[in-house]
Amino acid sequence: MDNQPITIRSWPKAILHLDADAFFASCEQAIHPELKGKPVITGKERGIVAALSYDAKAKGVKRGMRLFEAKAICPDAVILPSDYETYSLFSLRMFEILRRYSPDVEEYSIDEAFVDLTGLRRSFHGPYTMIAERMQEAVETELGITVSIGVSLSKVLAKIGSKWNKPHGLTFIPGREIHRYLAALPIDSVWGIGPNTSAFLKKFGITTALQYAARDEQFIKKHLSRPYHDIWHELNGRSVLPVTAESKSSYQSISKTKTFTPPSRDETFVFAQLSKNLENACIKARRYKLAATRLIIFLRTQDFRDNGIEMKLNNPSAYPSDLFGLLREGFNHVYNLCSFYRQTGVVLAGLVSDSGIQHTLFDDTARIEKMAKIYSAVDQLSEKFGKYTVHHAASLPTKLQAQHEGERGDVPKRKADLFKGENKRQRLGLPMLDIKV
Amino acid sequence: MHVDLQGDKLRSRIRELSAFFNKNGRMPSFSELGALLGLRSKNAVSKLVNTLEQKGILERDSKGRLIPLSIGAPIKVLGIIEAGFPSPAEEELADTLSLDAFLIQNPQATFLLKVSGDSMSGAGILPGDMVIVDKGQSPKSGDIVIAEVDGQWTMKYLKKREDSVTLVPANPNYRPIKPKKELKIAGVVTAVVRKYR
Repeated sequence: MDNQPITIRSWPKAILHLDADAFFASCEQAIHPELKGKPVITGKERGIVAALSYDAKAKGVKRGMRLFEAKAICPDAVILPSDYETYSLFSLRMFEILRRYSPDVEEYSIDEAFVDLTGLRRSFHGPYTMIAERMQEAVETELGITVSIGVSLSKVLAKIGSKWNKPHGLTFIPGREIHRYLAALPIDSVWGIGPNTSAFLKKFGITTALQYAARDEQFIKKHLSRPYHDIWHELNGRSVLPVTAESKSSYQSISKTKTFTPPSRDETFVFAQLSKNLENACIKARRYKLAATRLIIFLRTQDFRDNGIEMKLNNPSAYPSDLFGLLREGFNHVYNLCSFYRQTGVVLAGLVSDSGIQHTLFDDTARIEKMAKIYSAVDQLSEKFGKYTVHHAASLPTKLQAQHEGERGDVPKRKADLFKGENKRQRLGLPMLDIKV
Repeated sequence: MHVDLQGDKLRSRIRELSAFFNKNGRMPSFSELGALLGLRSKNAVSKLVNTLEQKGILERDSKGRLIPLSIGAPIKVLGIIEAGFPSPAEEELADTLSLDAFLIQNPQATFLLKVSGDSMSGAGILPGDMVIVDKGQSPKSGDIVIAEVDGQWTMKYLKKREDSVTLVPANPNYRPIKPKKELKIAGVVTAVVRKYR
C-alpha cells in the first residue's frame, strides 16, 4: 500500500497552521496605519534588520543585514526600534482569537500556531475551508495584520500549506491532493528536514517531498531516526504529531543576550551587562520553577568575534547570588582588556525542576532557605512594581550608559509617550495606535 | 411577627456558623461559637446548640463537640434557607463589572490612542486624552470613528445619509469632511479616559 499515490478521501484529522506575514513589521503597520504599503524595517536599536515588511523584501532587503546596507538598497525605508511589548500583545490576541474557534491551539512561536479543527464542522455548520476563512478574517480585521493559513491532515502538511502562498494565503491540502503539493516541493522545504538530512537523502535520489513520502516504511526505518519516520507518516496524511494546547512550560535552556552601542571596553560596564543578563535569565528560570546545572557566558567583540566559556555548577540554582562567583571567574577568563565589546550573553543550561534538587550533607541549608525567601520577595516586588525594582548592585553600572546611544537609542513610542499613571516599567496592556488625530 | 424575627435571627446565626465552617473546615468550640455570635454566656451558647440540634442542623459527639449535619450541604430542615449559604457580599459582587470590562467590550480588538488635536473638543475629547478604539465593531451613523479620508487620518463623528457619508467635527473651527476618493474606517471610539492625577 505504501507505494500507491496518497489518496485519502476523508478528514481523519484537520490541522490548521497559521503563520503571520512579516509579523513584527505588520504589527508596526497596524499601529502606524500610514506605513501600510511602505517598506518598514525594525531593529533600529540593534543596528541590523530584525524584521522587514514585504515591501522592503521586494526591494532586496534581507533579514540580518546591517542597517546602513539596507538604507543603501532601499533609501525610503522606514526604520523603527523594535517594540516587543506591542508584538507580544498582538501575539497573545492572535492566539485568543484562534481559541474562539477551537480549544486546541498550540502556540508554536510568537507568530505561528497550530490548531486542531477535527470535528468542528458540525458546530460551525460548514466545511473546514469556511472555518479557516472565518479565522483568517477575524484575525485580520481585529488586529489589522495579515496571516497565511494552511489546512491539511497533519501538522507537517498544514505547514506546507501556510508557506505555499504568502502573504494572506489560504491553502487547503485535502487528502486526495497531497501528491500534487509534494511533487514539486524540494525535500529541504519540509518542516523538520534540514540541510544535512536533505543532502543525505539526495544520495538515495530523494530530492522532492513526494519521493520521500513514497518510499516504503522499511527504507525509512533502516536509514533514518524517529523524527524523520514521523515526518514520513505526516507527509502521507497520517497525523502522528499531536497539537499540544498547553502553553510552553518547560525549557532545555534559557539564554539572555543584550547588545549595547557604542561598544565598550569599560570592564565594570561590560560585567554589569553580563550580570543583568544573568539576573534576567534567573528570573525566567524561577518563573518556570527551574534551576540550572551549567552556566555559559559569552562576550561578543566589536568585530563580531565571540569568546565564551561553559562552567558546571556544584548545585542546581536559579539565584544570581549563587552564580556570581562563577560568573566573575568566567568573565575574567574570557575578558580581554584590549577589546571593545558590543554584546554579552548568558545561557542557563542543563535545567532541572527546582523541586527535585538534592542537597548534600555539606550544603548550608539555612543559607539555601534564606536565598529562597529573598528571591521570592524580589520576584513579588517585581510583579507588583515592575521588573528591576530590586536588582543586584553588580548590574547597576548598566545605567552608566544608555543601552544604545545616539540615534539607535530611539525607544518605541509606547515607552516614550506615557499616559498619566503609566511609568517606565509598567504600561497599560493594550496596543497603542500611533495616529495623529 | 415575633416568630418571624426569631426565625431571621436563627437563620443569620446559622449563616455565621456555616461561614466559620467553610472558612476553617471545622466546627467552632463552644467559646468560639459564643464569640462568633456575640453570646456572652456559655448558657446562651448551649441553648442555641440545643435548638440547632433539635432542628437537625448539627449534633454533638460523646465529648460534646459539634458535628455538622446540614451546614455546608443543602439544608432541608428550615425549608427557607437555600443551599450553601454564600456570603451576602459575594452574592452581590458577582454582578459587578471591573473597570476593564466596563470600558472594553472586545478585548482582542481594542486599541488605545492618544489624542493630539482639538477637532472633537465639543464632544469632550481634548488633546492628551486617551480614547478606546474598537476595531471589531461595525461603525454606525453617529459614532465617533478613526478614519482615513483621502490619505489623511482623522477622528470625527460619522454621519451616514442614504446617499452620502460625512465626517463631522465637534469644533466650529473645523469643517465637515466629505470623502472625495476613499474612506477607510480603522475603528469606532467606544470611550474616552482622562486621568487627572
